[in-house]
Amino acid sequence: MEILYAILIAPFVEMGSYPDLFIQALWDGFVAGTLYGLIALGFVLIFKASGVFNFSQPILVVLAALSLVSFYKMGIPAWISVILVLILFYVLAWLVERLILRQLVNQDGNILFMSTIGLTFIIIGAAQWIFGGVPSAMIVNELGFPNGSLEWPMFDGGVYFEMIDISAAVIAVIMIVILAVFFSKTKIGRGLRAVADDHQAALSVGISLNQIWVIVWFVAGIVALVTGIFWGARSDVSFALQIIGFKALPVLIIGGFTSIQGAIIGGLIIGLGEKIFEIYWGPLLGSGVEGWFAYVIALVFLLYRPQGLFGDKLIERV
Amino acid sequence: MSEKNSVIMEVKNINLRFGGVIAIQNVSFNIFEGEIRAIIGPNGAGKSSMLNVINGFYHPQEGEVWFNGEKRPSMEPYQIAKTGIARTFQNIALFKGMTTIENVMTGRQLKMNKNFFWQMLRYGPAIDEEVQHRRRCEEIIDFLEINHIRKTPVGSLPYGLQKRVELARALAMDPKILLLDEPMAGMNVEEKQDMSRFIIDVNEEFGTTIALIEHDMAVVMDLADRVVVLDYGKLLADGTPAEVQSNQAVIDAYLGVPH
Repeated sequence: MEILYAILIAPFVEMGSYPDLFIQALWDGFVAGTLYGLIALGFVLIFKASGVFNFSQPILVVLAALSLVSFYKMGIPAWISVILVLILFYVLAWLVERLILRQLVNQDGNILFMSTIGLTFIIIGAAQWIFGGVPSAMIVNELGFPNGSLEWPMFDGGVYFEMIDISAAVIAVIMIVILAVFFSKTKIGRGLRAVADDHQAALSVGISLNQIWVIVWFVAGIVALVTGIFWGARSDVSFALQIIGFKALPVLIIGGFTSIQGAIIGGLIIGLGEKIFEIYWGPLLGSGVEGWFAYVIALVFLLYRPQGLFGDKLIERV
Repeated sequence: MSEKNSVIMEVKNINLRFGGVIAIQNVSFNIFEGEIRAIIGPNGAGKSSMLNVINGFYHPQEGEVWFNGEKRPSMEPYQIAKTGIARTFQNIALFKGMTTIENVMTGRQLKMNKNFFWQMLRYGPAIDEEVQHRRRCEEIIDFLEINHIRKTPVGSLPYGLQKRVELARALAMDPKILLLDEPMAGMNVEEKQDMSRFIIDVNEEFGTTIALIEHDMAVVMDLADRVVVLDYGKLLADGTPAEVQSNQAVIDAYLGVPH
């Protein structure tokens, strides 16, 4: 009985008795969730447009953060550094299209997947060679993001909103809205969805696969840059950042590999879920719940809804 | 039907090989403006390969393609689409996640040139452009009588309707030449009659030049103005349906010759 009480009742009693703590947990979970969502979004964009599961997406996040900080350290002003990183990612997108995707047109998805693993190691090597591997701090203030935190007193205590977290959430939301409008309302967006569905048909109506691929990889690079800035602000900028890329996998399984809104909602489910679970149920299980919670949820989804919340259901006609 | 004397497309001495396999061997023929040109032949005769050469999916080792009186340089399929060649596929290639109207709108892709920035902001001229192209698509959808499925995702449509949506998408490109790869394959008699009627209507109302591959001889004889017969990658006969039908080599290829 006691154990049932501890699982089913005590956590909710606690939520009720310390509402400020609960709201704080929701906010922290929400911010982490939007960032998970952004990482997953990078995967979804490329998967949608070329059917490639892009193993190198996490390393793109590292590359973005690392090159941004390195450019700044060379004495280049922060915002010019951002532009340089964008140029770098455009060149990278172009090179990936030229040297990898174009050579592998019509190949099996597994082969393309393997090629992105290769790309990951090339980027790791090149980035270490050029920028070095020393962890450093993200240049948040230099980029003009506000410092400090807002305190919102309520009930007996108060809830803290870090300014950088607020910035992250606001920018993530703006970016998601822009991307959603871009893909649903523009000619390029329509072309992208066409390429995702059928290469041959897309070519036959005059859509250039090469152009679409460059655009998609570039947009995924922009997403990586935003993720890199805000995730880099939460921890150091180092190669260890790519570990968070693995968090995108359960997010993708929950949201579906092909859905932009799925990536975001999946991210929020994981972010909020693991925070709440850690705080209220974590003590029962010992700590470290955050480490595995996402994967357990993903496992449940794989069993009962393998296409995810918003993914395309695969129906083979026999 | 418009005047049928000016050549809009000509293929000359096309040779296409895949490794040691010869798909097309020294084939030449032409297509007149405004006609319905059929390409027939037994399985593996090189019909689809020929269409793929015309629309740029395959690049022949030798031979020339002349279009609008000019020799065409080697081009990618999407560039050839820009020159006004549209096609449909033997195994339907639609954008399955999109609705009928969205699929047809992709056919207007090349004709839309407003900046994506204005399109995102729903800025006046970009909206006008969208509306104008949408109107044309709706006309085509009306024309092919697929109004009732405008908003249906095409993946869930029956086969015959999917074929019609594919035709609509190709027509939305306002093509100079429309290539149809077995437009009636896998259809029942009723669907075949519908499709034949649409092909004739497209040809008559829009004056579109059509090159089509078809297996059903009866259909070909009704539809086509002129027929090319391929067999084992070689040109077997070229002429009006009546001429081709009475050609001994064609009869042998289709019915087999006693050895």
